[in-house]
Amino acid sequence: MSDSKSSSWKDSNWYVSLTGFWKEYRKHKIGILGIIVLFLFVGMAFAAPWLATHDPAPGKKVAPSFLAPEWMAVFDPEGVLTDEYMPDPQLTNEPTFRTFGNSSKFSYDHFTGAGNDGRVNMTWEHKAGDRMNWAPPNPMSQYPDSEDFVIFMQNFTWPFEGLPSDVNITFTYSVSLTGTFATEENSGLMFKTYIWLIDSSGDWQRVYRSFPPYSSEFQTRKIDLNFFDLNNAWGGMVEDDGVQEDPTDELTVAVGLAPTDNFRYHLGETPSLNYTGSVTLTVEEVSLVAYGDYFGVLGTTDKGADAWSQLVYGSRISLTIGILATALSTAVGVIVGLTAGYFGGKTDEILMRVVDFLLVIPGLPLMMVLAAFLGPTIENIIVVIAILGWTGTSRLIRSQVMAEKNKAYVESARAIGASDTYIIFRHILPNVTPILFADITLGVVAAILSESGLAFLGLTDPNEPSWGRMLADAQGTGGFSNGAWWVVVFPGLMITILSLAFTFVGHTLDQVLNPRLRER
Amino acid sequence: MGLREYVIRRSIYMFLLVVAVVCFNFFLFRLPTLVLDVSPVDLMISEELRRNLTREALQGLYQRFGLVPDPDIFDWIYMFWRYLVNMFTGNFGLSFISQQPVIDELMSRLPNTLLLMGTSSIVSIILGIWTGVKVAADPGSRKDVSAVTLALFIYSLPIFWLGMMLLMVFAFYVPNMTGGLIGFPLGGTISYELWVSAKTDPLGALYIAGDILHHLFLPMIALGVGGYGGYFLYMRNNLIDVMTEDYILTARAKGLDENQVLYKHGLKNAMLPMVTIIAMTFGFLINGATLTETVFNWYGLGRYIFDSLFVLDYPVVQAIFMIIAITAILANFVADLLYGVLDPRIKYG
Repeated sequence: MSDSKSSSWKDSNWYVSLTGFWKEYRKHKIGILGIIVLFLFVGMAFAAPWLATHDPAPGKKVAPSFLAPEWMAVFDPEGVLTDEYMPDPQLTNEPTFRTFGNSSKFSYDHFTGAGNDGRVNMTWEHKAGDRMNWAPPNPMSQYPDSEDFVIFMQNFTWPFEGLPSDVNITFTYSVSLTGTFATEENSGLMFKTYIWLIDSSGDWQRVYRSFPPYSSEFQTRKIDLNFFDLNNAWGGMVEDDGVQEDPTDELTVAVGLAPTDNFRYHLGETPSLNYTGSVTLTVEEVSLVAYGDYFGVLGTTDKGADAWSQLVYGSRISLTIGILATALSTAVGVIVGLTAGYFGGKTDEILMRVVDFLLVIPGLPLMMVLAAFLGPTIENIIVVIAILGWTGTSRLIRSQVMAEKNKAYVESARAIGASDTYIIFRHILPNVTPILFADITLGVVAAILSESGLAFLGLTDPNEPSWGRMLADAQGTGGFSNGAWWVVVFPGLMITILSLAFTFVGHTLDQVLNPRLRER
Repeated sequence: MGLREYVIRRSIYMFLLVVAVVCFNFFLFRLPTLVLDVSPVDLMISEELRRNLTREALQGLYQRFGLVPDPDIFDWIYMFWRYLVNMFTGNFGLSFISQQPVIDELMSRLPNTLLLMGTSSIVSIILGIWTGVKVAADPGSRKDVSAVTLALFIYSLPIFWLGMMLLMVFAFYVPNMTGGLIGFPLGGTISYELWVSAKTDPLGALYIAGDILHHLFLPMIALGVGGYGGYFLYMRNNLIDVMTEDYILTARAKGLDENQVLYKHGLKNAMLPMVTIIAMTFGFLINGATLTETVFNWYGLGRYIFDSLFVLDYPVVQAIFMIIAITAILANFVADLLYGVLDPRIKYG
């Protein structure tokens, strides 16, 4: 080793003087920046379940397509906000009840169920032979078949002068039956549960009808309103040329229980003459989420999935594939490089011819072919990227080893009878390691970019969110042609920032550790 | 060893490499058939059609594409032999999908790819060398640091995303805001309407050239910027290396002014490895840029590889792979020869 600078860390092995290395490293601002950003991304990958606001599956629809991020609503004071619009979705307070027709048949009450949530019971009792009032048959009617029914209602105000882009109603209920209703096979056909939206002009819009089988266990129905229902219910509240059809901006959500036509006449029988018993509808939750033009932290994708959650989980894929693929290719590259460089001759010749061969095969097309044929799972993508990634490393290591192996210390080690393996791992490898670090970090960049490129071409696990895939979805469905610039900008930005962080670290390591550049 | 002997030895080696690539291609693209037992004919015709076809018709279909139904080992050897002969006689067969000769399909796309890759490479090489030299004269300066940071940024930029951003801004938002006055097309290589109307116009050729340039601009910028980072860093590092050499010191000592030292003595020597890199770049030109071509809907070879791959159209893909390999090998060779010609210190051996 050098004599005059023997105190300097540069002349000792890299691992002897980590503090010295750090002193040198932290002079480089971009290196520090890179490390900070890397930590942020690793933190994001680990904290993904807590950071994500929705299911990250790319096909999971949570809202209409291409909604803008919520913070963009700042620029649009008229914009419709995505929100829960029911004033009391958990039914904590007693709602307004109302019966129609023969009210003696119906009873209702409000009570507190398990977990202090409010619940509503609505009961219809029937004795065989009781007279019923039937509405004239009309298939277009929004009302139930029977004129006797019971509802409970909640009101809310729609403050906007625009339609919601979509409305979801979540309805959790159970049905308990007694008497003939509990024993007859077809009793589920005798009644229905309805949900109506009633505007202030008094127009009823039926948006849900239940179907058997019913259960005394609570079950949840998610009702996605179709455009016509939505338009009928909300249309009157929206000003058109300064005219608003409905007198107020109030909308009533009514949940009802009513006998059906089958009770009057069913398969040649008259159930109303035979049935004695009761039907009790217990409602645990009625919530109404109206989607506006804005949703979540980063809006929604073409499939209506939450972009932010995908973005957060995408960091896992990029980091995993980037790091594992590079680890694999570095391991192969180091072994090949050491073997070829140390032993030389025939071994070297054969290994380097393989490298030559891989270098003339076009890289991305070969990755595409292999990923498509092997199936684009995460493991396969890692292997495919690693297959092409090791050639550069092996050439680098080989040239270093060839320079190193003729030095005096290797000669002397051999002279005292050290084995090849011992010399390679104990003497040569530690001396070529520093140069490897920069190569590894830049390898991660290449792997991350390859992964996103493959994902952009559709070669990615279909169930996993990934940044490249988000870009592919945006490209394939005309993201920005729909004005949805956020589906294009943010995933690409994430890829760029993550690989930039690795590049900065790699560049700094190169500056600090590469002997060729040291004295600059 | 003389130049002649070197060329002969390299030629033999290059030929062996081509043979290796050709053999590798055969097995790579028949993997689905070998492993999954999927024949391209299965993808071409539906199960129903297959049942309704006569034995002869099916046989003819297989024969037309040089395939054998339910091949055994001898059939494989036969197919491999036919494949080898065809590859080396330049007969690339028919595309399974378009049923046209592969060579025609490739030739119709090659000019587009060469145009795109050529112009963008030239842009990035010229920019890279120019800024690299400017910056290397004064390493460590503010200008140098910011240029290196910019180059690192470009190095970590996914080029297809850059393309998407350019499209979004210059082909969507700008035309929208200016009412379609300024802006670039959303994709494609040439607009059909213009091509049709230009055929009857005396100045048609000019219009067509202008239209192609109009379509070319954005993808060229995307690829040009994408390649820039690498050339810049390489040029800068080379030149900084060269500037520490003794002959530079000598040149300075004899009183040459700094510009002369930089351009006459520094640049000339730093260009040597650059020439190799450039020659290699041009070897990989026909590789195309699959991702960028996909983003810009460019009618080129890169996108063709991608499109053919997913329909198991392997006559196309194997032909492209072989052509790319051959040009890459030749470019490598030319680069080595060129290096020797330019740098008299190099001896062939």
